[in-house]
Amino acid sequence: MSIFEYNGSAVVAMVGKNCFAIASDRRLGVNLQTIATDFQRIYKIHDKLYIGLSGLATDAQTLYQRLVFRHKLYQLREERDMRPETFASLVSAILYEKRFGPYFCQPVIAGLGDDNKPFICTMDCIGAKELAKDFVVSGTASESLYGACESMFKPDLEPDELFEVVSQALLASVDRDCLSGWGGHVLIVTPTEVLERTLKGRMD
Amino acid sequence: MAKVDADLPLKGGFSFDLCRRNEMLVKKGATLPGFRKTGTTIVGLVFQDGVVLGADTRATEGPIVADKNCEKIHYMAPNIYCCGAGTAADTEAVTDMVSSQLQLHRYATGRESRVVTALTLLKSHLFSYQGYVSAALVLGGVDVTGPHLHTVYPHGSTDTLPFATMGSGSLAAMAVFESKYREGLTREEGISLVAEAICSGIFNDLGSGSNVDVCVITKGKTEYLRNHLLPNPRTYVSSKGYSFVKGHTEVLSTKIIPLTQKEKVEVAAEGDAMEE
Amino acid sequence: MKLDTSGLEAPAPILGGIDDLSVDFAAAQSFDLPGCADFDGFQKDAVQMVKPAKGTTTLAFIFKEGVIVAADSRASMGGYISSQSVKKIIEINPYMLGTMAGGAADCQFWHRNLGIKCRLHELANKRRISVTGASKLLANILYSYRGMGLSVGTMIAGWDEKGPGLYYVDSEGGRLKGTRFSVGSGSPYAYGVLDNGYRYDLSIEEAAELGRRAIYHATFRDGASGGVASVYFVGPNGWKKMSGDDVGELHYKYYPVTTTPVEQEMAEVPAA
Repeated sequence: MSIFEYNGSAVVAMVGKNCFAIASDRRLGVNLQTIATDFQRIYKIHDKLYIGLSGLATDAQTLYQRLVFRHKLYQLREERDMRPETFASLVSAILYEKRFGPYFCQPVIAGLGDDNKPFICTMDCIGAKELAKDFVVSGTASESLYGACESMFKPDLEPDELFEVVSQALLASVDRDCLSGWGGHVLIVTPTEVLERTLKGRMD
Repeated sequence: MAKVDADLPLKGGFSFDLCRRNEMLVKKGATLPGFRKTGTTIVGLVFQDGVVLGADTRATEGPIVADKNCEKIHYMAPNIYCCGAGTAADTEAVTDMVSSQLQLHRYATGRESRVVTALTLLKSHLFSYQGYVSAALVLGGVDVTGPHLHTVYPHGSTDTLPFATMGSGSLAAMAVFESKYREGLTREEGISLVAEAICSGIFNDLGSGSNVDVCVITKGKTEYLRNHLLPNPRTYVSSKGYSFVKGHTEVLSTKIIPLTQKEKVEVAAEGDAMEE
Repeated sequence: MKLDTSGLEAPAPILGGIDDLSVDFAAAQSFDLPGCADFDGFQKDAVQMVKPAKGTTTLAFIFKEGVIVAADSRASMGGYISSQSVKKIIEINPYMLGTMAGGAADCQFWHRNLGIKCRLHELANKRRISVTGASKLLANILYSYRGMGLSVGTMIAGWDEKGPGLYYVDSEGGRLKGTRFSVGSGSPYAYGVLDNGYRYDLSIEEAAELGRRAIYHATFRDGASGGVASVYFVGPNGWKKMSGDDVGELHYKYYPVTTTPVEQEMAEVPAA
């Protein structure tokens, strides 16, 4: 049993027209036992930057705290929010520092840049960045997510269309995975507002 | 005190503080995850007046193609580039570190970087980690002493060659080079031979795939031909794709948070339209 | 080396004389043991090979009116859900049901095999086999393959001359008579609901609801159980399927949710 499968997770991010979506499942389990069905895997860094951390929950929370700390130091020093690209490099550096004893997390980073250009990216647990133009996935349902996103994704979707696509891709994928699901959590971020929704999903 | 130290930036170097815990997890029966690899075909050759580097664009995680169009030709200096194979994080980190050292060196000396400098920095880093930093590299560039092509192995050994291949597709690519390489190739011949070698890797090695990236370095000029060839376009998407009716997904709760703009404050008027 | 499988053979030659056909037919029901040097090692590997596909919740209980048998319908391979519509309650004959937990192939094969035997018993003795007898037939077969990698955890439930009958039989050779059983990875959760709501004098409707609820709660907590909660009732007139509810919908029937109105934060509130 892989350590990634201990808690179970599914995270996906997609790019739309001047917006992005980041979504995750809501299950926290211990192997096959479901412990909680309102677990947060998507964390806010600032208004237009979010990180989804799949994998081992304890490491995800520790990593998130370190990232918040580093982001706050940056804000104090620079008097501005971090650009998504910069933040991705920071996460990558923090993960690579532990190359030989890694955090068991696969981050998904999504944000809006200076000119509100959407940015998404994922990494493996030692910080190998993968920048994508369309979508990124991670977690125990990642294989199903690859398939669902590959067929459902269309470029330049409007926020409301993007919400439907990302939600359907997520729900379809977690229904084929024992270790994730139990509802979904979706964030659609546009330059003017953040739309936060919880999805009704199968509870088995 | 130690905790505060661990959280602070600046320190540099690897941190081993999770190793004992992870070892314990393995002992308890957990298997550790694999890392993203660039099961790769990377090549390089020396032609008439410079160096051509080539790479495929597939990144894999076990049997999954994690990235269909990744970049494996890394920037080292304006006149030096480096193809990376092996663990993606390692090739990325090691080339980034060396390229920043080269930049600082250029600031200090005001001269163009030399390929041997990059080579020495790379091999000494890799050697000091005894092969645990698994980066296999093809380093190429043109400096005051002319064009150079080197390969660097994960343990830190290096070769200096007129043509070189690395990665899981290296045999397929080397077969092409061995049969067709000769001294004094022209620029066009060089590019097409490199592309052919990469294509041979793409089509015959399962770890390599997608597109061909090429980088041509000549005296005083570098051309990065990203996606020089696209031999594997998507063929399986219907022109329409899936479309979902708005409000198709069942929603339990919705929260709309307007973002305050720096200049103007906008009240989200379209909020109602996006409700379930 | 060959295992004694006399317990498997039909009580009498089916077609009268011994011809090629019946020899082949009888031979098909026994396995050759592997002739390898490391037999213990082979056994271990065999067990590992059939280990996957074991996430299940099944339950059965006896009450005043008869027996309730209920199960989920998920088949999984590791974390992957390979099917959400597996029939885990096997209809052995109109008066007897078997449940499926463990290796799907093992359960299906040996239940079909048990069905054949029960029918042959009926033809030879002019009356239906008792639940006791049928479960013993299965237990004997499983015991003869003990330690060789079969993976079966089943309940045989039915109605015979003595009334309702319920036995738990597994591939370790165990056979238990009882009034309340649950088998599979979700069984601890199902037991919780079952023990809490069980009374002997439940009505058929109440009993079916208890079974359904127990399966639903198990599918909620257990990652390897899910799909459809199907409930069967076995009474004096044979078995009847009571219901087959998608637990995806069942959850929202048990715990209705009201869609909360859209929450809109004021633009003036500075973001934290």
